Parts: sequence; structure tokens; C-alpha cells
Amino acid sequence: MARSWLEYRSPAWVQWCPGCGNYGILTAAFKAFAELDLDPAKTVVVSGIGCSSRIPYYINVTGVHTIHGRPIPVATGIKLANPHLTVLVMSGDGDLLGIGAAHFVALGRRNADITVVMHDNAVYGLTKGQAGPTLPAWVQTKALRAPNIQDALNPLLLAIASGYTFVARAYAYHVDKLKDIIKEAIKHRGAAFIDVLQPCPTYNNVMTQQWYEQRIYYIDEQEPDYDATIKSPEERSEKVARAIAKAMEWGDRIPLGIIYRDLTKEPFDARIEKIMPGYLEHPPATRPVHYEGKPLVDPFKVFTDRVVQA
Amino acid sequence: MVDLALLIGGPQGGGIESAGQIGVRALVMKGYDIFGVREYHSNIIGAHSYFNIRIRDTVARSPRLPVDAVVALDAESVFTHMDDVREGGIFVYDTSTLKTRVDRIAPMPGPLKERVKAKLSQHGLGDTVADAVKYLESRGAKLLGIDLKAAIKEVAEKSGRSVVSVARAANVVGLSAALAFLGVEKEYVHRAIEAYFAGKTRVIEPNKIAADIAYDYVEESYGLGNLPDGPHKGKVRMVASGNDVVAMGKVVGGLTVQTYYPITPAADEALYMEGHRLVEVREELAEKVGLEKLGVAVIQTEDEISAINMAIGAALAGARSATTTSGPGFALMNEAISMAYIMEAPVVITIWQRAGPSTGMATRTGQQDLLHAMFAGHGDAVKIVVASGDHEEAFYDAIKALNWAEKFQIPVVHLVDKTLAASTKSLDRFDLDSITIDRGKLSYEWSGGEYLRYKLTEDGISPRVPVGFAKQLNSSLEHTEYGYAIEDPEVRNAMVEKRLKKLDAIERGIPEDERVKVYGSSDADITIISWGTVKGPVLDAMEKLEDEGIKVRYVHIKTFIPFPVRTIDEAFKSASRVAVVDYNMLAQTSLAIRMFTGHKAPHVIQKFTGRALQEQEIVRAVKEILENNVERVVVSDGA
Ligand SMILES: Cc1ncc(C[n+]2csc(CCOP(=O)(O)OP(=O)(O)O)c2C)c(N)n1
Ligand code: SF4
Ligand SMILES: [Mg+2]
Repeated sequence: MARSWLEYRSPAWVQWCPGCGNYGILTAAFKAFAELDLDPAKTVVVSGIGCSSRIPYYINVTGVHTIHGRPIPVATGIKLANPHLTVLVMSGDGDLLGIGAAHFVALGRRNADITVVMHDNAVYGLTKGQAGPTLPAWVQTKALRAPNIQDALNPLLLAIASGYTFVARAYAYHVDKLKDIIKEAIKHRGAAFIDVLQPCPTYNNVMTQQWYEQRIYYIDEQEPDYDATIKSPEERSEKVARAIAKAMEWGDRIPLGIIYRDLTKEPFDARIEKIMPGYLEHPPATRPVHYEGKPLVDPFKVFTDRVVQA
Repeated sequence: MVDLALLIGGPQGGGIESAGQIGVRALVMKGYDIFGVREYHSNIIGAHSYFNIRIRDTVARSPRLPVDAVVALDAESVFTHMDDVREGGIFVYDTSTLKTRVDRIAPMPGPLKERVKAKLSQHGLGDTVADAVKYLESRGAKLLGIDLKAAIKEVAEKSGRSVVSVARAANVVGLSAALAFLGVEKEYVHRAIEAYFAGKTRVIEPNKIAADIAYDYVEESYGLGNLPDGPHKGKVRMVASGNDVVAMGKVVGGLTVQTYYPITPAADEALYMEGHRLVEVREELAEKVGLEKLGVAVIQTEDEISAINMAIGAALAGARSATTTSGPGFALMNEAISMAYIMEAPVVITIWQRAGPSTGMATRTGQQDLLHAMFAGHGDAVKIVVASGDHEEAFYDAIKALNWAEKFQIPVVHLVDKTLAASTKSLDRFDLDSITIDRGKLSYEWSGGEYLRYKLTEDGISPRVPVGFAKQLNSSLEHTEYGYAIEDPEVRNAMVEKRLKKLDAIERGIPEDERVKVYGSSDADITIISWGTVKGPVLDAMEKLEDEGIKVRYVHIKTFIPFPVRTIDEAFKSASRVAVVDYNMLAQTSLAIRMFTGHKAPHVIQKFTGRALQEQEIVRAVKEILENNVERVVVSDGA
């Protein structure tokens, strides 16, 4: 029988501001994990640094709270060592697309089977409200001393271009909808990205709950025929184009839901298995490295290209 | 006693590496111990590069100048190395370059051109290769001119191949001429060609013909040399670079994940390992572990920040994990080193030092990252720092580093350098029985209730259950025993004390004889203290100086953290004179010694040129110190 979502609540005090969108994301994660009946030992939430990145303390699964910008490489290392774990990265927009952008791109290129949940409040919450990489130019949120003069990044486009094979957008206060998308992302075999629009009532006084709720709409409700799931390589160019067009929608109407899915690309672990047969059965985390302390490898038998008969 | 040196120089991309490798193999097959170091520019094609091979019937472990034979495959090599051959030694050059003038050689650095012209004009000579040849004759070198263009034509005719496709065999013509002169039989060169180009018949045949041509030439001119077989004849040995042996050590030591971002001189280690990512289990153990092949996941990352963080992630999940880099890459890893320390993640970082600051001289050597390695990591982060002096040490140290990382759950830096990376050494079988693989308090099962990743223990080291095998929190923030972030003063103190206790455990767990090795006795005229690849030249210089009645003791530091305080202190107290060899500007070794022991070394021998340190440089420097009491001697041999 599935676990109750309450089992995923940790005893730690949740220290976000009242009304923070992170609460919705947290609850959605509890529910998604419960509905998928995830094993707390084998489920790993990895975060960087920021308000949002405290989330591993609040979820009663295995957590890794890393440093600013680096949850993706740490998560990739965990998944690389043990491909049988369920690995999620839950981190801020500044963390993933500011300081950690190189890793964000690299994860897509590898298509590692990791779910990235981006808490997108368009500001640097923890450092008191500076502009985040998704804050549009000329917007001046509360803590800014001048209007923002750097353009916003489109996270969905970047994800598609980088090679993520599941790209979605969700909204933090719509817990059940978000929960469903998190579930789909976890079930997806490959790099999955969810841009979660997350109001920050403390610092983002422009992109507020009201601002979002006037604009967001669900693709599956309003455009039931929308289909950007690639099931065979021939469909790629057409469906990528469709997904890009959808990902570009922003302003008066902001689409939510699964924007893009590619079922044809093999994930990183399958690629490694191809060049290193046996990897999946005996991954780096668990394969034997010694026998009673003795080394398993004789260099003169293995590195024969360096052996010389004198 | 046989103690020879051979230098082969030419343009990068012109087969210097393969000539060196073939030469080294032929000499090892002949039964000698060899050490060959490659010097090269940060350039893909055209700049000057050379291989300096030392050949001994005892131990070969350092380059020296002058050499007994120089092979100059192009005009630049003639000019560059015209002072590098000893009197009576042989100098092989290409007669088709005789008219080439110094100024016509585009890749040659301007200041070197000026020095060469000045030297030649001092001797009343002009500035062509022919003038350099006259200069060499006046210095008592034996000249062996070979028309390499004609030789290549001959190779083409005899092998039925086009001139273009066999042009590279010029390197083997030159090399073979020198080996013939030194007395290495042709069969060894043939066998070495076969071994080096394993299976590539289309390459092997023309190269063998090239060797034949050279041997005929020498036989007709000076006559073939005569060299007895070396003492290692009949043995199965290895010929490997420092990059290779570190990769081997890691694989033998049970490494399962290696990450890297390409950088000289580290990338070759990762590439060699990747080429051997599936290795066979020792026959006698295959059944016991139920596996015949083992995989090592070698992953190229998007940058060094990713490389270290990914290695840390893999370690958290239970992999034996390492990353490899050089100074610039290590600089990018700084923040994550500190995370590995507070997270208590066992990870090994191999640093192949090269010449800085900044991009500096990327393909040259140095010991400029000692303090960088020791102190990298903000906020009181600590790591173990172990340095290797030669190929054998590097192999065993790579295993030790992995053991210490897991045993003490701490990052370990393995410090090596470009000299080691790019030097080829003959090696005997490693002693597998002496190797123990230690994973410390690692266990894949947990039944003790809630697992505390940072449990306070007697020795400061907590039971380690990987991510995936017990629910847990790993945190870069100060944390409780479970891993929750906390700033409570008492918990903070307890955690700092825990990490301090761990340092005590390291102090106790790494005995003095693993921290330092002492060669020679305390009644020596001078005690030299150093580390890393300074070892070979110093040990060789010790022998030379001993012959001249000067006794030297060498104190070879192996670990900087923990530091061999007792031995160094004793060395200062018992020595009549102490000199530190410091391959860097700041005299970093001397600073580290002073920090840990309070002793200030009165003499320092330094080098900055990025070229491998050589035996004769130490000989000269020691005499200078003993005779003239100079505080600082700067050496700079090697083109
Ligand atoms: C290397 C480094 N630089 C800067 C910081 C300071 N810092 C902490 S959190 C943060 C930004 C967080 O923004 P975001 O990732 O969007 O998370 P949020 O707080 O908005 O959830 C910064 C810059 C840091 N911790 N480390
Ligand atoms: S600052 Fe913003 S993001 Fe951070 S906890 Fe408060 S409301 Fe949430
Ligand atoms: Mg943010």
C-alpha cells in the first residue's frame, strides 16, 4: 500500500516566509513521492544554496544540500555511481540558471535520468531579493536599487536546446497540478525539467500570485490537441518547433503543463552501459573493489600495452 | 658501469614522441633501466620538442646534460642542442639542412636565435647549420650527417610506399643511428618498432627499413658501437609514463569513478584510464567476487567545478572516486573541496602541477601548487596532501590516497607534476601483496535505527553508509549528527571538535615513515630537503658527489598534511648544513617547513624554467653552497 504523504514530512521547522510559493512545491513533492510510493532511502533530493535549496531538510527522504550552483553535478555523480536511485534536483533559478548554468546545459546533453525542479521566483531570495536570471529587463522589484538591465532567460527554451527530454512548466500554488507533473517527470527516463513559477511575496512584488493567476492557463485544458511528444526521430523537427513556439509564449498568457517530451533519446546510464557493459548490473557504487582487502586487478595482466619483454 | 644519455629533438608532430618511445623500448629490451622525459611547447605542430633518455645499469631516474648522443631531426634542433652533447659524444643531424640559417627558422624563439648567433660568432662562425656543425666539431663531438630526405626516399623505394606516407620514419632513421653508435643491436630496434606500433604492419615495415638504413650508415662511418646487455635482460617489465602509472594505481586501488575536464598534463591520465575502462579481474579472485570484468566510469565533464562536484556525488553514493586536473582546474575546485570536507566525502584530487602563474607555461613543470594544494578550501577546510617523487611512488600513492580518503572520510590531494606526467620509466612488477584496499567504516547495510551520517564518535569518524542504503542527510551547512542545518553554539562546537578529532586520527593513522623518506646519513656534509620529482636528480647527484668525497643526505617529504614534523626537526638539528630544493619562486617548501617546524632553511636551490630538474644542476648547486656559502642558487639547465 502506498505511503501517506505525511510520512515524507520531516520534523524540521520550515523556515520560509509566510505565503512563500516554496510551501506549495514542498507539499506537491510530498504527494508525488507518496503516490509513487518512493523509498525514502533510495530517493535523493539534491539542492544548491538559496531559500528553495533548504528543501532537503524538509522532505523525509535522503537529502544532499550542496553549494551554490552545483547540485546538478553532485546529483549526476550520485546517479552515475548508482543508477538505481531516484534522483531529483530541487533548487532556485539563480542557482540553476545563474551560477550553475553550465551544469544545467550539461545535464541536458547527457540526458541523465534526473528530475530538475526549478523554484523560479525570478529573484535571489536568500540574498535578499537581487534580480534572478528569469526576471525580465526593466522590471524593478522591491529590493532592486535600479530597474533590471539584464534580459530574462527563457528556461524552457534553454532546456529544449540543451537536450532535456521532458520539459514542463508548473505553478507553485496549484499543488495537485504540480504534483501530477512532478510524478510524470520522475517517471520519465531521462533528464526532466520543471520550471515552477514560484511567487516570492517578500521580494518579488511584481510577479505576484495575482500577477501569475491572471496569466497562467493549462495547455491540456485549453488546447487538448497540443502534442509535442516525440515518439520517433522523424517527428523531431516538427515537434521541437511546436514546443519552441509554446515555450516562447509569455506575457498576457503563460502556458502551464508538459511542453515537450522526447521518448527517443537514450538516457546517460544506457549510453554508459553501451561503452562499458555490466555497468547497470554492477554500478560504481556497489561493484566489488577488493577481495578481503586484496586488489582485484593485476596491472601486468591488464595494462599489457605497457608491458615489455626484456 | 653503464650510464648513458640520449637526446632526440625535432618539430612537434614530427614523431619525437614515437622516436622516444621506440628508443626507450629498445633499451629496455636490451636490459637497461631507463628514464626518458619529454619537453615540449604548448603547441600542436611545428614548435621544438625533445626527448631526453637516461640509460643505466643501476637505476635511471633523472635527465642529465650533456648527453652522449644527440639526434637533431631538424635545423632548429641542431642550433638548440649544440652545447648538449659531451666531448666524444655523437651528434646526428640532417645534411639536407646544412645551408639553413638561424633566422630562417620561424618557430624558433627570437632570444634563442640571438644567443645562438652570438655563440657562433664568438667562434668566428656564421649562422648556418654548417657553422653549427663546425662548432660541434671544435667541441670534440663526433658528427654523423645523414641526408634524411635521401634516406626517406630510400625507405619509400624499398617499402614500395609513397615518400609522403613514410616521411615520418625520418625520426627512426635518426634514432637508430644514435642507438647503433651506442651499441644497441638492430634486432632490439626492430622489436621495439613492432611493440610500439603493435599490429600496424603498414607502419612497422617502413620503420624497420628506416632502422636498417641508419645501421648501415653507422657501420660504414664510425662502426657499430659495443654495449653489453643490461642486467634486466630476460625480465618482464613495463614502460609507462607517470600519467599511466597513476591511472594504473587508481584502477588497481579500486577506483570506480573518475571525472575530469581536459587539461595538460592531467588529461592523458584520464584518457589512458578510459582506454582501460573494462579490466579483467585477477584469475584467482574472479570466482571469489563472482565477476570477470570490472568497469571504471571515466566521465569528461563541462568544467572542473563539475568534475569535483560529480566526484563528490559519486563518493556520497559509495563509489571509490577521484578527479584529475592541474593548477588552473584545481583553482576552480576550491569551493567544492571545502564542501567535501564538511560533508566528510572521500574524494581524491590528483593535481598534475604545471608552470604558472595563470596559464603560464602550460606544458612545463614546476612545484608551484604546493601551498595552493595545502590551503585550498575556505573556512578551515582540511585535506590530506600526499606527493609522489617517481613512478613507483605515484602508483602506490594513488592507492594510498584512495584508502586515506575513505578511511578518514576526507578529501585527499595527490600532488604530482608535469615531469612525472611526461616521463617514461622502466618498471618492475608491482608488489601486489603489499597492497591493501581499505574502505574504512563503509558499510552497505544499516539496521541500527535512524542513521546518523555525522555521528559523534571517539575518533571523529562516523560510520559511513552510502546514499541509497540508509535514509540520510548530507549537508554543506553546519549540521546535527543527522545532518540537519543548525547554528546552535554547542552543536557547532561538538562538530568542530569532531572534525578536529578526525585530524588526530589522521595524525595517528599516517606514521612518520609514510610521511617522509630519508636517504643517506646524518653525518653528511649537507642535508637536502625536497619532495616530488626533485627526488631523482638529487639521488643521482648524491652518487656523483659521493664520488667526489661530498656526502649528502636527502630528506624526501611525502605528505605535507600531515607533516613529518619530527623528521624535519631532527634533520635541521643534526645537519651541518641544510638546503631546500624548491621548484618555485616563493620557496614554498621552505615556507611550509618553517610553518610546521619553525626552522628556516639557510639555503635554497630554485628553478623556474619549467624544464625537468637535472642531476648536474644539483651537483653544481651543492658545490656552490658548500664552497661559497651562497644562500640562493638558481639553476636553469635544459632547452
Ligand atoms: C559561491 C557563492 N556565491 C554567492 C552565494 C550567495 N548566495 C546564496 S543564495 C544566492 C542566490 C539564491 O537565489 P536562488 O538560487 O534563485 O534561490 P532562492 O533563494 O531564490 O530560492 C546567493 C547568490 C553563495 N552562497 N555562494
Ligand atoms: S524570501 Fe521569498 S523565496 Fe525566500 S522564503 Fe521568503 S518568500 Fe520564499
Ligand atoms: Mg530564486
